[in-house]
Amino acid sequence: MATRGAAFQHAVPTAAGAHAPAATGVWSWITTVDHKRIGILYGISAFVFFLIGGIEALIIRLQLATPGAHVVSAETFNALFTMHGTTMVFLAVMPFNAAFMNYMLPLMIGARDVAFPRLNALSFWIFLIGGLFVNASFLVGTPPDGGWFGYTSLTLRQFSPGPAVDFWVISLQVLGASSVIAAVNFIVTILNMRPPGMTLMRMPVFVWMSLVVQFLIVLAFPAVTVGLIFLTFDRFFGTRFYDVLAGGDLHLWQHLFWIFGHPEVYILVLPALGIVSEVLPVFARKPLFGAPVVIYSGVLIGFFGFGVWSHHMFAVGMGPVADAAFSVGTMLIAIPTGVKIFNWLATLWGGTLRPTVALHFAVGLIALFTLGGLSGIMHASPPIDLQQTDTYFVVAHFHYVLIGGALFGLFSGAYYWWPKITGRFLSEGLGRLHFWLLFVAFNLTFFPQHYLGAIGMPRRIYTYQTGMGWDGWNMVSTIGAFGIGLAVFVFLVNAARSLRGPRTAPNDPWDARTLEWRTSSPPPPYDFETIPPVYGRDTFWREKYGDRRGRKPVPLPPAPDPHGTHLPAPSTWPIVMGLGIGLGAVGALTSLALLIVGALILVLGAFSFALEHHRNPMHEHQVGSIGLDHRKLGIWTFLASECMFFGSLIATYMAYRGKSVVGPYPHEILNLPLTTVSTFDLLMSSLLMVLALDAITRGDLAKTRLWLAGTALFGLIFLGFQVYEFASFVHEGLTLQQNLFGSTFFVLTGFHGGHVTIGVAWLLTLWIMALRGRLDRRDAVKVEIAGLYWHFVDIVWIVIFTLIYLVP
Amino acid sequence: MSQPRPQAAHGRPTNQTGQTGHGDPAGHASVTMYLQIAVILGIITALEFGSIYIRQLTPILVPLLLVMSAAKFSLVVLFFMHLRYDSRVLSVIFTGSLLIATVVVLALVTLPGDFLLFSR
Repeated sequence: MATRGAAFQHAVPTAAGAHAPAATGVWSWITTVDHKRIGILYGISAFVFFLIGGIEALIIRLQLATPGAHVVSAETFNALFTMHGTTMVFLAVMPFNAAFMNYMLPLMIGARDVAFPRLNALSFWIFLIGGLFVNASFLVGTPPDGGWFGYTSLTLRQFSPGPAVDFWVISLQVLGASSVIAAVNFIVTILNMRPPGMTLMRMPVFVWMSLVVQFLIVLAFPAVTVGLIFLTFDRFFGTRFYDVLAGGDLHLWQHLFWIFGHPEVYILVLPALGIVSEVLPVFARKPLFGAPVVIYSGVLIGFFGFGVWSHHMFAVGMGPVADAAFSVGTMLIAIPTGVKIFNWLATLWGGTLRPTVALHFAVGLIALFTLGGLSGIMHASPPIDLQQTDTYFVVAHFHYVLIGGALFGLFSGAYYWWPKITGRFLSEGLGRLHFWLLFVAFNLTFFPQHYLGAIGMPRRIYTYQTGMGWDGWNMVSTIGAFGIGLAVFVFLVNAARSLRGPRTAPNDPWDARTLEWRTSSPPPPYDFETIPPVYGRDTFWREKYGDRRGRKPVPLPPAPDPHGTHLPAPSTWPIVMGLGIGLGAVGALTSLALLIVGALILVLGAFSFALEHHRNPMHEHQVGSIGLDHRKLGIWTFLASECMFFGSLIATYMAYRGKSVVGPYPHEILNLPLTTVSTFDLLMSSLLMVLALDAITRGDLAKTRLWLAGTALFGLIFLGFQVYEFASFVHEGLTLQQNLFGSTFFVLTGFHGGHVTIGVAWLLTLWIMALRGRLDRRDAVKVEIAGLYWHFVDIVWIVIFTLIYLVP
Repeated sequence: MSQPRPQAAHGRPTNQTGQTGHGDPAGHASVTMYLQIAVILGIITALEFGSIYIRQLTPILVPLLLVMSAAKFSLVVLFFMHLRYDSRVLSVIFTGSLLIATVVVLALVTLPGDFLLFSR
């Protein structure tokens, strides 16, 4: 079926439940753009990284089992806890969530795939390469050792001179790019690919929580990306962002990291809470109690999540007003979280419970996440937090949240959706053994750590003396950790046995409520033979059993299906671009030539990726369920992310205003008349851009070519002004390294200039296509999204011009 | 037999290309209006530049500059980026994100320093 080079596969459904032949072989997996296969790739990769992170944890616990142990050196211990945190957060739990989202989201909303299948593949390959890159540091003997939070100044070149932190800094930027690309894709998919009748409030709660998470990713990752860019520049180019002697503030890193870091907790946990909200109603045979309130609670948790980051920083001394504000915000989050827990309990109350393993894990999550939440409320109080900061109490707290809240939910989802994904069942007997082993071992490991922290055992210590009162509980904790390892081994055995067995799972083995159970197990490549009709919340249940009074809905005809059962063809460009990024990352640490080769592969891959389906008729019509073109919705979502990116850059410039301890200072060097002219030039380029869009919309190709060329020319003129300005500043003594003003100014305006350069390349590509007759009225949306990007670059400059050049 | 008119998930009817009208480029501002907006943008930029050199404006210079900058920002977003004519979904996504970014930026600017909002 999968013919390389063909625009689309044409997958003709056969008899109900029959599987259309799917492409096989390694190459078909490398080039796949099928959301289900990409979900499986995410799942397998995440599980391998989870095992690596787990082994790191076991070595940590072995070292701490007894006082004065020498299982590993202190340096290795630092690397182990750094890589354990980094691996579990970025390479295990996040991609586990991505696995379920990839596989299930389109099925749950009744779609055939995600909005941008090739971007989906790109996200996966970038993620995998980022994960392999950071773990490759072990192979060269320099694993990162600055903690998963990478606090400066510990991570500056002065205190971490080798490449260890470089591996960490670069890989996190790579992984961040993967996450943001995937988030844009899922937002467009969820908003724009729902069938008729699937209103937002009828969407399954897992889909809702995934939507909230994607917005958190889009808005949270840019902040840490900016922090990482500063750290990269400080380490590689000698800038002064985190140089206290130059007037820098180390808290800047902590703020940028935790602006991301706290929403990241919800990025990890909310999907699991969504899974539980799917599992409980199925195995209680009751609708989710107060489903809209559960949804609103998830949205509120995401929203509040942006206003509480500084509770991770109470110990730095922010002052009583800031402490009070962030304390209140943190306590507020307990309200929607508590609402969810009570709604889950009310769902179970009076239900006809079927105690499957999936339900065991879901109920386990409720218990453990509640405990983690309660200790979280304790941290919300600054005086109490000051006692607990950097002790094992905090380690216990976040493991109750992230294992109890995320991992238990993910295992619940694994047992629940395993038959749908594989067509086979996991053993319920082994599953119960897995659950009880994990539940007991988890509590054995982490509950004593509350006590250890309370009696003063600090985090991240390599060893301790006997007689501190910590010996016994550390041994208990280590025994528990190996129990967790045994539980995971039982799951592996269960999975292996299941995969060797025959496919016996029917379409709907659990008598479930949502659309993914309406198709075969596993689903065919085209997901559904016809787009399923939607009758309300829990639409599949309604279709089977009717409403609460048993009244079945009048059967609806299949929904309109403008694309038929055509599926996007495989593509090699996502992995080519991923390899380009990987080569570039290796080159950044080893050789400039390799970095350039990687960048060239990335750029050429990106062009090929963009033009691969330019004249494919199946790609022309991408208008979705809210009446917007996928690409347009996608670019707006990306621009939302860019707001946070440039906001963080501008905020840093503002926070560092007047902090430089040596000149040149802004008032001595900024050339206002020149910049006013370049600002005017950029504004007028925006006029030419809208004229180009107007022309192509009218089908006036001559004017389209003219205005596109004019916009690109004005962009080039702006860049010329910027090159002149930079050169004159360097001539007058202002460099990246000179002072805080130089560092913040060049990085902010440089990144803006980089965006202008990308915009010019984009416009010139469109112009050349227009000259060669490959652009016409059908491509208006392509000009429109290029224009939206261009105008955004323009409005960013409007802000920069005011805050940097005009405000005295 | 006539085909039923396609409906979007929100239930509003769509046209033959599946668009709901408000997302149609034809519904955007006219060329004349684009030119007028460009002229206004140019004038505001000139006023921004000029206001720096008028000593009498010093007490209100910063808020004045911020207002003029916000006006330019809004004109580009509303007319050149067509947010005034486009789907409300896009407005919610962009303005919501802009609002969160602005609040975070303000906090980031004020938290590390000795500013009035969160003084140590």
